[in-house]
Amino acid sequence: MRSNWLVEIVKRAQSGPFMKEEDFDLGVAKRIRELVKEKGIRFDPGTLVPSDDDLADRVFQAGLQLFVEWGAYCQSTERCIRFTLGEVQDILKHVPSEVHLGTGKDAVVMRHRGVEDPRPAVMHSGPTGTPASERYHPLILLSCAQEPLVDCLGAGSVSTYLGEQILPGTPLEILGARRDAAVAREAVRMAGRPGMHINDVAVPLTCAGKMSAFDPEAGLRRSDAILVAQMVELKTNFDQLSRVAHLYNLGAITVDLMTPLIGGIGGGAEGTAVVSVADHLLGAVLYDADYHMFSHTHIRFVNNTDPMGLWCQAVVGQALARNTGMITLNDIYTVSGPGTKELLYECAAGAVVGTVSGFNMQGAGTTGGFNRDHTTGLEARFIAEVSRAALGLSRQAASALAGELLHRYEASLARPNRGHPFPEVYDENTVQPRQQWLDLYHTVKEELVLLGLKCDYEPRPAAPQGGNR
Amino acid sequence: MSVPSAIQQKLRRALEEGEAAAAEGSVREAIQAGIDPVEIIEGILIPTLTAIGDRFQEGQIFLPELMMAGKAAEASSKPLTEAIVARGGSSTSKGKVIVGTVQGDIHDIGKNIVVTILRANGFEVLDLGRDVSPSGFVDAAKQHAPDIIGMSSLMTTTRPYVQATLNLFRDVALRDRFRFLVGGGCVTEAWANEIGADGYAPDAASAAALCKQLMRD
Repeated sequence: MRSNWLVEIVKRAQSGPFMKEEDFDLGVAKRIRELVKEKGIRFDPGTLVPSDDDLADRVFQAGLQLFVEWGAYCQSTERCIRFTLGEVQDILKHVPSEVHLGTGKDAVVMRHRGVEDPRPAVMHSGPTGTPASERYHPLILLSCAQEPLVDCLGAGSVSTYLGEQILPGTPLEILGARRDAAVAREAVRMAGRPGMHINDVAVPLTCAGKMSAFDPEAGLRRSDAILVAQMVELKTNFDQLSRVAHLYNLGAITVDLMTPLIGGIGGGAEGTAVVSVADHLLGAVLYDADYHMFSHTHIRFVNNTDPMGLWCQAVVGQALARNTGMITLNDIYTVSGPGTKELLYECAAGAVVGTVSGFNMQGAGTTGGFNRDHTTGLEARFIAEVSRAALGLSRQAASALAGELLHRYEASLARPNRGHPFPEVYDENTVQPRQQWLDLYHTVKEELVLLGLKCDYEPRPAAPQGGNR
Repeated sequence: MSVPSAIQQKLRRALEEGEAAAAEGSVREAIQAGIDPVEIIEGILIPTLTAIGDRFQEGQIFLPELMMAGKAAEASSKPLTEAIVARGGSSTSKGKVIVGTVQGDIHDIGKNIVVTILRANGFEVLDLGRDVSPSGFVDAAKQHAPDIIGMSSLMTTTRPYVQATLNLFRDVALRDRFRFLVGGGCVTEAWANEIGADGYAPDAASAAALCKQLMRD
């Protein structure tokens, strides 16, 4: 964190240009349309992973211009927090390009990845984005943490506490946050990986709730993280900025979470790509994020595995990989659920596109987050394996492969197969996938091999010792 | 007297392209030509905005186009209301709806789309914004006497406030005075039935259809 930078941000949040939120939305939407036209940015559904460096650079320049012109909207003060081009460029020179996550033997180094980077992506998993029940949450977390290729765990979200609905801002939110952090800590311990990085506890919606998840013995530690969210698009508030203050003082990891909507303020794929770059810049400038979680989703289907979502992922990843040192994470969101081939195809498409475009991996947010307990560790294993296998692919090859995968699930986007909840696809006692789910996994893996992807397991090299960056 | 085709085309284009000043200008032109404002609303505004809403629903256009069309429609409504009042008429509203995102939920894109589509369909909509407390809904309902109250929640973590709001209406004996619609990312029809809502809408178009149906019932 830049020293005393938050003081300046709070000052600008109180003195920047006043604007009604609706006017900010409309102004940003109009400017995005102009920038897309000015920079000649065009979505081509036939090329899911463009190999055009100039296109990536134009998307970056458009996003930079948008952010400098409009800044971030502070909902608490109804004012714009703005920065000069020089300030933004200076900050970009100093963003973290590697960060140590976790502790001891379980620590990993997550790095900025380049376009077609031969180095493996770090793999995050957990039920982030898919709600879990109190009963199955511990098993779902364990199913993810025990996967050898999974490096980090998200604690996810459980909406009840001892059967009672958790209302944000109530004592149950604090109790729920502390319980979920403890359950995640226990899951990594049971998996024999007690130092594994935990990237968030999602149940609390308030800063107080997030802060309560930290507990060196039974909750989050300094080597863990919480997410600081942006509201779509380019918006923040004092509750979110207060999380930054807490993390800054504690010395824990800050994750910038953005959730751009394809079909939302940015419009189509081109505009969403532009505003997504701007969102990343917001995370670097306002949150001083250690890494950035890119959770763009389609406004209707709540996934990012459709043609616009994949193209947007590819272009944004490349734009940031080529023009910044940021550490980025693509959050794969699918419409399908566990126990279906479609889920594995969607995961594979997201992993292939993200890997060659400079992202680290996170996944999967299944069923668009609609179906409780519809998430397992097996799809996380699959994403990690596909990502490993995609190392060395050219963007052109990745594009062709993603297109072939898309062909196999595209029809299901409008009529999703939500699959089965955890206990129907995993054995609750052994916490291992049931045979039917494993068979589908092997079948799809074989299909990928036939498509030319070498899905071999390679253990990660020994992790460095030490804690925080 | 029907609206001359040149003015019809101009107003339609202004709405479709989200040109607020042009839309307002076309409406004023039509009113000056002696056209019945109700004819402008029923014959041009509502069908054009409904078509824009349908195109959004089908993914042919995106949120900015919908928002800008909504702003253009809003700009047109001022001279139309003035003209209706000047002719001694009253509102042409299809019904009054109060809409808000429940307490704790700061996600309002979906709710904003619903507001735009409802207005496009001729409803008078009072948008309470986001993070609205149960008593905020009750106060607004007492003050504005709507026909329908719509509540939205994106996240499972804020969904309990939908139920808490309904419970408060029951506690203050106002539940049966209004119809309640619920929607949002985490809300399902089964859950809507479970908490005793009058209707569930999975998207903005369904919300408009449901509001029309409730006004007929």
